[in-house]
Amino acid sequence: MSSTVPVGRTRARPGAFGFLTDTTLCIGCKACEVACKQWNQLPMDDFGFTGMSYDNTGDLGATTWRHVAFIERISDREGRRPTTLAPFQSNWLMLSDVCKHCVHAGCMEACPTGAIIRTEFDTVVIQQDICNGCGYCVPACPFGVPALSPFDGKAHKCTLCYDRLKDGLEPACAKACPTDAIQFGPVHALMDRARARVSELRAQGVEARIYGDQALGGTGGIGGLNAFFILTAPPEVYNLPAKPELPQRRVLPAFLTTALAALALGIATLFSFRRVGRMQHG
Amino acid sequence: MAELRSWRHRRAPGEPIGAATRESYYGLPVIHGPHWHWPIVFYFLLGGLAGGSAVLAAAARLLGGRSARPVVRAGRYLAFLAVLPGPLLLIVDLGRPERFHHMLRVIKLRSPMSLGVWGLIAFSLSAFLNALRQAVDDGFFGRSNRLVRGFQQLPDRALAIASTVPAFFLAGYTGVLLGATAVPLWARNALLLGPLFLCSALSSAAATLSLLLARRSQNDRAEQALAQVEFLALTGEVALLEAVHRKSGPVIGRPLRHGAEGRAFAGARATTATALALHGLALLLPRRWRQRLELPASILALAGAFLLRATMVFGGHRSADDPAATFALTRSDE
Ligand code: SF4
Ligand code: SF4
Repeated sequence: MSSTVPVGRTRARPGAFGFLTDTTLCIGCKACEVACKQWNQLPMDDFGFTGMSYDNTGDLGATTWRHVAFIERISDREGRRPTTLAPFQSNWLMLSDVCKHCVHAGCMEACPTGAIIRTEFDTVVIQQDICNGCGYCVPACPFGVPALSPFDGKAHKCTLCYDRLKDGLEPACAKACPTDAIQFGPVHALMDRARARVSELRAQGVEARIYGDQALGGTGGIGGLNAFFILTAPPEVYNLPAKPELPQRRVLPAFLTTALAALALGIATLFSFRRVGRMQHG
Repeated sequence: MAELRSWRHRRAPGEPIGAATRESYYGLPVIHGPHWHWPIVFYFLLGGLAGGSAVLAAAARLLGGRSARPVVRAGRYLAFLAVLPGPLLLIVDLGRPERFHHMLRVIKLRSPMSLGVWGLIAFSLSAFLNALRQAVDDGFFGRSNRLVRGFQQLPDRALAIASTVPAFFLAGYTGVLLGATAVPLWARNALLLGPLFLCSALSSAAATLSLLLARRSQNDRAEQALAQVEFLALTGEVALLEAVHRKSGPVIGRPLRHGAEGRAFAGARATTATALALHGLALLLPRRWRQRLELPASILALAGAFLLRATMVFGGHRSADDPAATFALTRSDE
């Protein structure tokens, strides 16, 4: 599954802004989660002890737009703690997950009200005064990002701090991140940086890869992710789909098979009724 | 409506955390499932019934002559009555029902839900006109006054023909809508769900009409035509159910084999197959015995249509919650 060369190809437009989340720099402090909640005034979650390492957040949702995943790779096949570690960090993988602001976004194409728009920064934003809570964007996102809020019945997700960008500020999570694991900037510049970083890590013997170019993550018509990641394990370890597809690619073919079926059933119906009238007169 | 934090309800059931970690992130779902429940199941069912009835009424109007008049009448009324609750079911399902009209801001060709809203409106209009024309012919508004004479100008056959396009659309687009998501069970079967829902729409409409007309006559030609449509549509349905079963495969198809959804799917397959067999048998028997077989067959076909919708809607929830299914769908090597 690992690609040998970092491809780094994306269909992002030249003016697009996004995130590079470099998981090799993440220390799991959750400053991004907190900064996001603070700036966007998101209600608290239902606290619970998940038993999943230091992750008591669980996943992205209507009130959680950054989520730090803790992947503790603690056991070998026999359940023993490994005594040899990979030549960097620890056997702890940390990933600050977020909306990917896809170049071609499934959520946006699905939305029947036009509530989801692409901004002048090429980010994907749900207009809260338009959304009527139909919930179609929720299963239409290949990454499980948007969710309906129990508080107001509408769909919510990361806005890439649209309000801050408008004022020339970087998003709250990137601002708060103490290690610069979250970097904000023009997508193409970030992609160059990611390519260089992956090559550097590979030279150190780390199995690094870009998640969110057209080879991994931003696949199947998605055209790349404006918020992409550097991973050191296969994406599925982080609960990310390896080669997701833009769901709307299936719309036209599915309508075609449905139309064919309609044609066949129409003929079958006419065929069945064909003698009813004739016998009458005959 | 969504729970405040739902991960704990959505984790793959029965998976110890350690075992799941190897394959995914603590067995947590990769994607978010839909929030659709019973209102949507019934919307799918009634939409199919309405669309199918309109198609049958149109065919009966075009070819059936006088003896098909009861089918035309019942079909037109049924199409109208069945679509009436549709918009209500959709609106109560919204997170913000008072904003339902925001659906009318745009029309998006790649959003089956957007197209569906416009298709529903088009169908409702045509079903209303067809039912109105029928009501005028049936003398609901008196025999001859200005109003009735005006309505009788409505071109009868043209109305019937024009209704078939939105009717087929209404009956089938819901399958496309499900297929255009990241939910593995639906996405994998994207090309099959539309045709499957169409077949089921036609068989359930034919079944309902023959049940409605059963006591009126002694299995006349129009009813034989209905039985034949039901037979043909059920054939497609049985074949497509099998195709869905095969195409889903061992991982993505798990909801079709286990739990309540699995039982519902088995039920859908059993009832449609039995209905098909009964209809097939009836075709071989002398006419006076047919009705004995066709009545239970129609009831079974209706039950199958209901079970199919419930399986697909709730199976979608199970499927979205299964990280292994999402991985099976999004791995290039599968
Ligand atoms: S990750 Fe999901 S919510 Fe974010 S832009 Fe892409 S499809 Fe939309
Ligand atoms: S829930 Fe809101 S944002 Fe999502 S598809 Fe529906 S209207 Fe659009």
